[in-house]
Amino acid sequence: MQWYEIMSFDDLWIGEMLGIEVGGVKILLLNVEDEVRAYLDRCPHRASVLSEGNLDGLTLTCATHLWEFNALTGRGINPESSELIRFPVRVENGMIYIEVPKAGAIPQHVDEGED
Amino acid sequence: MQQHFVIVGANLAGGTTAIALREEGFDGEIVLIGAEPRPPYERPPLSKEYLRSEKPFEEALLKPANFYTEQSIETRFGVRATQVNPREKVIELEDGDRVHYDRVLVATGVRNRKLRVPGADLEGIYDLRTVADADRIRAESGSGRRAVLVGMGFIGSELAASLRHLGVDITVIEPFKTPLFRVLGEQVGRVFEAFHREHGVQMIFEESVAAFEGTQRVERAVTSSGRRVACDFAVIGVGVEPVTDVVAGSGVKIENSIVVDKYCQTNVEGIYAAGDVANSYHPVFERWVRVEHWQNAIHQGRAVAHSMLGKREPYEDVHWFWSDQYDYNVQYAGFHTGWDELVVRGSLDERNAVVFYMQEQRIAAAVAFNRGRDVQRVMPLIKTQVQVDPAKLKDESVDLRSLVPGARPVRTHQHRIVPRPVARPGEEAR
Repeated sequence: MQWYEIMSFDDLWIGEMLGIEVGGVKILLLNVEDEVRAYLDRCPHRASVLSEGNLDGLTLTCATHLWEFNALTGRGINPESSELIRFPVRVENGMIYIEVPKAGAIPQHVDEGED
Repeated sequence: MQQHFVIVGANLAGGTTAIALREEGFDGEIVLIGAEPRPPYERPPLSKEYLRSEKPFEEALLKPANFYTEQSIETRFGVRATQVNPREKVIELEDGDRVHYDRVLVATGVRNRKLRVPGADLEGIYDLRTVADADRIRAESGSGRRAVLVGMGFIGSELAASLRHLGVDITVIEPFKTPLFRVLGEQVGRVFEAFHREHGVQMIFEESVAAFEGTQRVERAVTSSGRRVACDFAVIGVGVEPVTDVVAGSGVKIENSIVVDKYCQTNVEGIYAAGDVANSYHPVFERWVRVEHWQNAIHQGRAVAHSMLGKREPYEDVHWFWSDQYDYNVQYAGFHTGWDELVVRGSLDERNAVVFYMQEQRIAAAVAFNRGRDVQRVMPLIKTQVQVDPAKLKDESVDLRSLVPGARPVRTHQHRIVPRPVARPGEEAR
């Protein structure tokens, strides 16, 4: 695992999300109602890029088949059984920090289940 | 006194309603009646993952079979309801049984139109609605088999893509100029035509099937101009018709199917309709719409559950569906019948575009090729039906979110973000 300094917290507005690459890992960075969250930028359904989707309040929607997630917890709303891979986030001295494992250590599981 | 709610149609809409009623705390009796001998399931995989044997049937089930017992939902699977009788407040079943109701949801869906041509009853001619249909088509499919597909709407297009994946040689016979011509128009239809051709699908347009020929099994299709297309099997996809037989004579108003208001209620007290069979008043489009989408079945299923419980929440979802074909993720949002302007954002040639179907500078609907993000962003514009400048829709430098009145400021992060490794948060870089 490795911590990275990403950007100024003031520069990530409420409701914004960014797809960024951190240490070879594609990360979805969000400001959810003033809380910063970092997830693997890959939908557990079909590996679509989540940062192409939509953040509306607490709901993160994947743009490919409209799977929905709670952006604060990473847990699935529809379907309920899914969950995003979440990474530790800290805000220190106005800067956002994320702890990311090595690219090879990311689980490759993709749910080939329902559409 | 205990309330009796009956749901006619054990499908996605009906099943969702039953589940939602319990989730909302309804503790009366629920009876779920369905003609198919199995619990409610999702149909989208039938033309895709299930047909290609990539996904077992169990994963398409809405809930496992034991869920209904656990939730005290009485099920009558494999029995057709024949009549809703509002005078006696009973549902008559084909096995002679009668089920009392206080409120009934009619979610009988649609049935496939039949092709009434000579030879249509030969063996080896199929259509697709149920898992049993998908099983029959799958059993015929394999490398080097030859199939004729009649009709190139969404089902025909998805079937073509899946059957090509299985190595089946496909010839499509479609009466219009392009695939999906009536729904999406020629310009967009050509995009579908191009990628199906690239995947080796043969297509005959502006012809219909005049007959099927063969001794016992189908051996060839004959087109209206007399062309003969040899085949090992055929699949018909020529549209659907609503199943309204069960309310015939009940006094329920039928106009292009069962007419309901924005609360999914028919004109007859205690009778509701939802899903493919419901022609429901839509407050956004200010007209009645009948929608045959997966998402509508779920959302309207939930909405009608609320309505049956006495909540007055209008159902005004903006409709949305997807259709995965080959590597293309196609999405449709909104509802349109005609258009006075077609606006393309992106490149149709590169199949990276969203097409807006405009009426008087309002977006009635949008179709996207590999552009899910734009569909998400255009939803509020459809929902509010505000006037938008077509030039701005076309301009890729304009963020679609900025066109929504009262939208939060939208900006793009211009500078590249370069993550910097540090020993721990708040410390200087190593």
